[in-house]
Amino acid sequence: MSLNQKNLTLTQEKMSLGEDEVKETIIVKDLVKNYTTYLRKGLFKREKKVVHALKGISFDVKKGEVFGLLGPNGAGKTTTVKILSTLLLPDGGEARVLGYDVVKEAAEVRKVIGVSLSVEKGFFWKLTGRENLTYFGMLYGLNGEYLKNRVEKLLELVGLKQLEVTDKLYEEYSLGMKARLSLARALLIDPQVVILDEPTLGLDPPSARMLREMLVKIAHEDGKTVLVTTHNMFEAEMVCDRVAIINEGEIIALDTVERLKQRVADSVSLEIFTFLPAGIPQETLVLKLREATGYPSTIFAENGGYRVKVVVPPGDAGEATSKALRVLHEHKCSVRRVEIKEPTLEDVFIKLTGKTGF
Amino acid sequence: MSLKTLLKSGFTLEIYFYKNNRATFLAMFLWPYLMLALILGMGYLFGSPSAFRQNVRMDVDPVVYYVASTLIAMSALSVMWGVGGSILWYKWSGTLPYMLLSPNRMSTTLVFSFIPRYMLGVLIQLAEFAPLIMLIEGVSNGLVKIGILALAATVGMIPLLGFSALFASFLITIEEETNVLSWLNPLILLFSGAFYPAYLLPYWARLISQILPTTYTVELARLAAIVGAPPLAPITFLIGILLGIALIYNSLAYLLVGYGEKKAMKKGAI
Ligand SMILES: Nc1ncnc2c1ncn2[C@@H]1O[C@H](COP(=O)(O)OP(=O)(O)OP(=O)(O)O)[C@@H](O)[C@H]1O
Ligand SMILES: [Mg+2]
Repeated sequence: MSLNQKNLTLTQEKMSLGEDEVKETIIVKDLVKNYTTYLRKGLFKREKKVVHALKGISFDVKKGEVFGLLGPNGAGKTTTVKILSTLLLPDGGEARVLGYDVVKEAAEVRKVIGVSLSVEKGFFWKLTGRENLTYFGMLYGLNGEYLKNRVEKLLELVGLKQLEVTDKLYEEYSLGMKARLSLARALLIDPQVVILDEPTLGLDPPSARMLREMLVKIAHEDGKTVLVTTHNMFEAEMVCDRVAIINEGEIIALDTVERLKQRVADSVSLEIFTFLPAGIPQETLVLKLREATGYPSTIFAENGGYRVKVVVPPGDAGEATSKALRVLHEHKCSVRRVEIKEPTLEDVFIKLTGKTGF
Repeated sequence: MSLKTLLKSGFTLEIYFYKNNRATFLAMFLWPYLMLALILGMGYLFGSPSAFRQNVRMDVDPVVYYVASTLIAMSALSVMWGVGGSILWYKWSGTLPYMLLSPNRMSTTLVFSFIPRYMLGVLIQLAEFAPLIMLIEGVSNGLVKIGILALAATVGMIPLLGFSALFASFLITIEEETNVLSWLNPLILLFSGAFYPAYLLPYWARLISQILPTTYTVELARLAAIVGAPPLAPITFLIGILLGIALIYNSLAYLLVGYGEKKAMKKGAI
């Protein structure tokens, strides 16, 4: 069964539970966070600069769902995650996890959440994977046989046991192994709420797939609530029941993946795979494309080449294709392939922000 | 309950480290002896044991005095230094946020996770010097002195716990990742009379020395180093003073620590 199918059946199951059984596990209301930084201007002079990382965001996450925070670099995803994990104090608004206030009842919140903030660090280099998990388990209050069994079970669950690396030092782990260990730690205390910041960042497709499948399983089968951030639209589509699209500290859309995509149902995306000759800035080409086609256009660097994307109404696809191809031809770009695709989350983002995407 | 958890997990962490880093462990054993040889060598080169006794104004054995004073003074201070150092290390390895996810106050977690390392360090140093002390002092006197030293190192640590917590928040907040205490440390040791008898210091420096807990731990070391049976009355008195200072210092620190924590957690440095 593919992930999406599984997703669908489980969503249906969940719907049949009835409204009153679906409870908000995480409530975020008007959350504001400003960072104050100082720019050095010479030896003693420095200039104060305030970054408005969160400009009053609100969302709820329901029990047993995978909720995605999707946004480009610097959107405020990590900031939100850190506030919910009680590691960062907000400047305004409120956030609750299972009813506990993340500021006033931080200790209570910590007893019900499991967190992974980064896949590539966060463990002691000179300890083995098993020792690292055991240590953090103890720190979080587990002990004795229970802890021992829990560690073994998790090492197996995330596949580290099968890789036979549980007794290897963390410094010898590959990124994929580190990511698995990070997820295992997030599950140590068998938390009701799991918060993961970019859990598949930098992983190869098999590792990423394994992690994604696990997230869905944790939520849909074990009934845990999963909040996951990503800048990967494909990932958000695959794993999330609902997605909040966050951009420059604001949530610009929040809905199920299906319904978000309906917002761009009146358009298809035209994708042209190409190579750019040296010396042509991407931005210039994007502007030219927009001018020529009259529709939102973007260019992504991908697999050594480039992917040009134009979001157009279905009826205009043909004409837009020839216009775009002409622009590319004028700039001596060699075109490899042209595709017309069903809309994706990426198109939603492009449409909502008018941005180049991410 | 949660303190026990912190101590126990900290202890486990330390054992894992020793187990996986045997070379570091060995170096830890050898280093104090090398220092002892160096300092005593220089002492005998530039002076004599009798000149030393005259300076220290008591009939102390230079070897035992060295052992006692480095052990106690350095290890008492190393609480602050160590808490600071471990925070830089957590920051650098990215473990800091996961440490702070333990359901305690930030300062509690940071300070109490460190105590096992401190205590193990003290115990290891005591264990390695034990044969030497017993050789000089005889077995029974030696054992009593080792006991006094262990007690002094423990009691000497308590006044500094609160400030270690403050220092921890401070280190999380600052941008430059240097351990400021590495230059403060020698100063404190100087004022405490660890290098240089405190009564030889100028008046203002003596005032400073009187409010530093290390001064009293160094004094304890001196008493422990007196040849023969240790004088129990002044030792008890000093321990009393240390506990009194602990009360004042920790109350003061407690008033400030909430502010420090808040600042650290607002900054976004975790
Ligand atoms: N500790 C900090 N001090 C100052 N500014 C910060 C700090 N942390 C984040 N910022 C700024 O706040 C904004 C939001 O950052 P955040 O890390 O939440 O973004 P993000 O969505 O997680 O991005 P990414 O995808 O790159 O991880 C950015 O402009 C960032 O530069
Ligand atoms: Mg981030």
